[in-house]
Amino acid sequence: MAAIVRLSSVCRRGVKPLFYQSTFLARPLAVPHTYKEHPYQLTAKIHASQALCGSGSKAASLHWTAERVLSILLLAMGPVAYFNPGPFMDYSLAAALTLHGHWGIGQVLTDYVHGDAKIKMANAGLFLLSTVTFAGLCYFNYNDVGICKAVAMLWSK
Amino acid sequence: MSSFFFFFFLISCLFIFVCRTLARQGACVSRPQYTVLFRHAAPMGTTAKEEMNKFWAKNAKLNRPMSPHLTIYKWSVPMMMSITHRGTGVGLSGAISAFALAALVLPGNYPYYLDLIHSLYIGPYLIGLAKFGIAFPVSYHTYNGIRHLWWDIGKGFKIPEVYRTGYTVIALSVITSIAVAFL
Repeated sequence: MAAIVRLSSVCRRGVKPLFYQSTFLARPLAVPHTYKEHPYQLTAKIHASQALCGSGSKAASLHWTAERVLSILLLAMGPVAYFNPGPFMDYSLAAALTLHGHWGIGQVLTDYVHGDAKIKMANAGLFLLSTVTFAGLCYFNYNDVGICKAVAMLWSK
Repeated sequence: MSSFFFFFFLISCLFIFVCRTLARQGACVSRPQYTVLFRHAAPMGTTAKEEMNKFWAKNAKLNRPMSPHLTIYKWSVPMMMSITHRGTGVGLSGAISAFALAALVLPGNYPYYLDLIHSLYIGPYLIGLAKFGIAFPVSYHTYNGIRHLWWDIGKGFKIPEVYRTGYTVIALSVITSIAVAFL
């Protein structure tokens, strides 16, 4: 663990303010120039707050990354579906669009819905909606013309 | 005099070291005691989430009015683009869900409904407008999405860059939508 209390800071400001130093609270620091040389010290401070208060779950971070990966995937699917339409693209688009929408609306709900019960209900409703959406799109792909063909047909008129 | 301060500094270093060691072992310490002898560490203190909930509960209980925000803050292009990104996202998602629901519930198949719409004699201009109306949310959300991903890798945060990329997204969206509407 990198040293949180630096000798230089003590020398500059005296000893008494040591007690006021927020070594136990993970406040965002205005990054002084010296930190650019030692970025790991700042990182150590952030990790410290997780170690301080128990569980350090990476779930949220992984979810964030997964959202970006899916977005890039969906971006690539557009041109591929245009040049190579077919059932594979139909089902891939159905899955990617539904999941992207599910996660997106999930973020909207997180922003605007407050209160434990309301959050639970809203997320349950969203899950139901996304399930029905995916089911409907798969049904359309199987029993009807499919997403790629449908867009082509819509635009041909 | 200086030796006293030095000794004091050593003790406080030791004390902070003890605090951090105990903290590393899982004890939550929210504020150090103002004595040299550190008594005991126990998990205490509330999480940020609990504090936030307490804050909201108190406000709701006292029926405190909310300060004006959206109605008084000056709207800027980045603000408008951000909420438009959210709006188009929610709108597109809703449209897809509605389409999926219709596919499950309505009788008949897609070509049937397409012919039904065309038999309404809408006319080329309205068809073009409808196509633009579908294409614009898709292209805006896509281009602004790319801008978001650009931010996610840490680029383009300077204010002039934000505005430049923003105007580029708007221009590209309009051009793409018009071009696609003519297809």
